[in-house]
Formats: sequence, C-alpha cells, structure tokens
Amino acid sequence: MNEELDSQLSAMFDNELPAGECELLARRLSRDADLMARWGRYAVIGAVIRAERGVTLDGSVAGRVSAALSKEPELREDAARVSGGEPQLRWWHPLAGAGLAAGVAAASILWLRSQALPGGSQGVTPAMVASTSIAAQSGPPGASATGPDSFVVPPPAPRRPMMVVPAMELADYVVAHSAFSWPVTRGNLLSALMVSEPGTSSTPARSDQPAPGVQGNAIQNPK
Amino acid sequence: MLALALAGAASADEPAKWLERMNHALTTLNYDGTLAHWQGGKVEMLRIIHRVENGIVSERLVSLDGSGREFIRTGSRLACYLPDKHVVLVERTPVKASLLGGFPVVDAQTMRFYDIKDVGHMRFNRRNTRLITVMPRDQYRYGYRLWIDDSTAMPLKTQLCDSHGKVIEQIVFTSLKIRRHIPDSAFQPGISTAGFRWLRNDSPPNRQKVNPNGTVWRVGRLPPGFHMTVRAAQDMPGEPGPVDHLVFTDGLASVSVFVETHAERTPPGRAPVTESAHVGSSYAFSTVVDGHKVTAVGEVPPETVRFIADSVKAEKTSDAAPPPASLGPLPGGPFAHSPPPPN
Repeated sequence: MNEELDSQLSAMFDNELPAGECELLARRLSRDADLMARWGRYAVIGAVIRAERGVTLDGSVAGRVSAALSKEPELREDAARVSGGEPQLRWWHPLAGAGLAAGVAAASILWLRSQALPGGSQGVTPAMVASTSIAAQSGPPGASATGPDSFVVPPPAPRRPMMVVPAMELADYVVAHSAFSWPVTRGNLLSALMVSEPGTSSTPARSDQPAPGVQGNAIQNPK
Repeated sequence: MLALALAGAASADEPAKWLERMNHALTTLNYDGTLAHWQGGKVEMLRIIHRVENGIVSERLVSLDGSGREFIRTGSRLACYLPDKHVVLVERTPVKASLLGGFPVVDAQTMRFYDIKDVGHMRFNRRNTRLITVMPRDQYRYGYRLWIDDSTAMPLKTQLCDSHGKVIEQIVFTSLKIRRHIPDSAFQPGISTAGFRWLRNDSPPNRQKVNPNGTVWRVGRLPPGFHMTVRAAQDMPGEPGPVDHLVFTDGLASVSVFVETHAERTPPGRAPVTESAHVGSSYAFSTVVDGHKVTAVGEVPPETVRFIADSVKAEKTSDAAPPPASLGPLPGGPFAHSPPPPN
C-alpha cells in the first residue's frame, strides 16, 4: 500500500498522475498525517535546496537539509559576482556533503516540461510583446529617469498583538485588489490568500496623534 | 553594421524587456503547473491552470495541501471556494482589469523607484533562465528576484524581498506544462458546495457614478512614485452599497483603497480603532474617515498601506461634473514627496 502511495506521490510530482487522481490524492493527504509528512518531504526538499531559509521540516532528512543550508551564505542580489555562471551549484555542494544528492536527484521533484505552442514556437517573441495590450500610465509631474530626488524612510510599524479573526471582508478586498495587481504579485497574493488565514490586529488609534484626514471617533470592529 | 546588430541585441536583453516578456507569458499562455509557495517558514503546494481561449481568460488555483480552497476565474467572474469556511465568494471583476492587459508597464518612471538588473543566465531546474532583480530604492515597496525561463518567459521562481534583500516570500514552479489546449473540465471545482453559503457580487462594476451624495474620496499624500490609476465604484458581497475603489501604483506595486460609502456612526464614548491585517506578505490597514471605513490593501509593506489609508480624505463636490469613474488609467494623479505622518 505504501509503495502504491509512494508511486502516486511520485507521479503527482512528475505531473503524470491524472487530474482526477491527483485531487483524490490531495484530499487523502488532508486526512492522513503520515502521508502528509511524506508529501511534505517531497515538496519541501526541492524548495529548500534552492534558497529558501527557515522552511519548517520534520524528521532527519529535514534536519540534514536545514543544517546544510544554515552553513550557506545568503543568496544576494549581487549574485552576478559569483563566478562560473551557475551560482545555483552552491546549493548542491552542501547537499552532496550531507549525503542527500542522490536522493534529491532520484526524487526528481523539480522539472519542467514544455510542449510546443501553436505555431511550433515555444518562445515569446519581441513582436508578440510589442502587440501586448498594456494600459498606459502617466507619470507624476516632474518625473524623470534620473532617480528619486529624496526619500523619507518611514519609521518601523509598531508591534501590535496579532489576533486571527474570520476576515471574509479582507479576503473580498484582496480578491478585488488582485485584479489590478502585477501578474507576479497577483500570483503571490492569491496564493497567500489561499493558503493562509488572514491575520488581523485591532489597535486603538492614539488620540494625541490623529492621522491626517481622519476625523471622528467612530469604531470599526473586525467583522 | 555589426555595431548596430550588437546594439540591437543588447537592447533586446534589457531587463525591462524580460519583465514585459514575462508579463505577456503569464497572461497569454496556456499552462498547467504545480507551485510551491513559501512564506513565513511554511510551504504549501498549489496547482495553477491558466488558459486564454477566444480572448477569455480562465484560471484555476487549487490548494493541494488540505484546505481544499479553490479560486476559479472565468472571464470577469471569480469564484473563491473556501470549504474550510463553507463559503463560496463570487465576484465580478472589471473587464479591463482582467488578466489580459491592465498590468503595469515598466518604464522610466518605474526605474526611479526600483533598481532593475539583469544578473545573467542561470540554470534552474535544468532549464536556462535569466535572473532579473528588481530591488526597491526605499522601504515603501518590495523587491523581486525572478528566474525567467529563456524559451517560455515564464517565471519559474519568484522571490519577494524586503528593501534589504531578505526573502520574505517565494513561489517556485515544481512542474509546468505549456499546453496547446486545456479543456473546460479543467476549470470545474473539485469540491461539493452542498450546504455552502454563497456570497455573490455578480453585478458589473458601477462605472457611471462613484458616489451619489457628492463626496469624492481623495488621497492627499502618497508615498514617492505612487499615483492613482483607477477610480471605480464596486459592489462587494455583503455590502449594502457600492464601495469606492481607488487604485494607486508605482509601476509595479499597487495599493487599492476601498471606502465604504455608507457611513456607520458608532456609539459615542468608544475609542477609535484601526485595523491592520496581512495576507501572506501583503498588508491591509483600515481606519475611519468621516464615519466611513477606509481600507488600503496592497502587496507592499505595512507602512505603505497605513500611509495611504491615513491620507484619505473626503471632498464635497458642488454641482460640477461627477469625478471620473474610469476603470482605466487616469491622467496623472495626486503625487507628493512628503514624509509619512509621525507615529
């Protein structure tokens, strides 16, 4: 039975499991803690080895991966300075040292398979880009490409006690806002909304420093 | 001649062009993939299916980790299946703001507030990718690192970073198939909604009049680089009246401001309350202005949504023409290089 499940999990990661079975398996995952743990190992290793830090893993594999990663320097914006042209190799060395490379390779968690697009081209040509319908935006008066004149760094937000509450209203606002987001951030936004319970904190406003434009003493409690 | 050819090649490799290619790919290709979403130390698996057929965008996002949540967009209709809450949220989004078009353009204005670099070729997941970094020049916005597939221009890996470069959210395609055709059946929910509560907003957005009582909501001060691009009235599920919806963007990051048009007067003697909330790395901040609840939501740091929400003010209009109710970009908008209000 375990072998069959392993096979299904593997097929799921390889995108070879039919959609119907895939969703059935996902539902089973939600009910089976052991299976979920196994899935978690499959899912997380691939993500962990490529730069995530602080990922929560259970078990010895997780510990070894995390230990290996903790010794790695942080991937920074100036990755261009890394010589050799393939900085991602940095992540593989500690993994190999931990004896995980073979397992990771065998899992083949991360792969991408492209199929031919209509017309036989997989690429997006500059001409296609040029024909994209993109809403033009006008810049603010005096805008230039020379860089910002000056910026004021806002003070850090005060620490507030977090109180998780049902937040359908917030979810609704997030969904409405997502329609206007950059495609990349829209993906992040909807994914975050899908996987997390929005957290809400309520803080009495300070009467001695009313925010500009805010008037009255009305109260809006979380719905 | 050779110099011209080289110049042309260099131009095509400009990082902004890669971002445009990526935008185009994300919004026009048919694809079916599995995502690993990492945020706050947790990894969740999601499946995304995206199709553009006859100009209609269909998209399905499914949680594979147990919550059973699904978001299914078909054209302008977005249905959110939340089995953990026994709720289905149905929303109609503005057509012009659908997944095709409407996203920001990376231009010289954007460059003022982000340092966009082409780091170079990277091998990722056995694919050739281009790593593009978009780092903010201040703390009002987030940055991004994008591993963009050479051939498809899809972002195989996306990191959301704070102004110090620290990764705070990441999405990785663990598998991705570019499809010639995706059947309609792929966009059916995989759960039974028996007994669910449906919250519907199936009416199209009100484009004619933002506020019937002559009040126009404006933002007096904005973080550097942000300007208003959209003003609309939007019906929201569960709301008795339309909500004024203003959208501000700096070219990449965007913030929506929602103003509930029906004033709710609270009993006297209670202290004013503000709310802050987060969804992943996105933040919301609510406050009260003239008895109206004002909520700013965006994929920006908490200081930014608070700054914008706190700057909202009501202006009474005379019998002049109503304010623009466009769902498209507005010409210009309020802009100021002003510091945020003191905390």
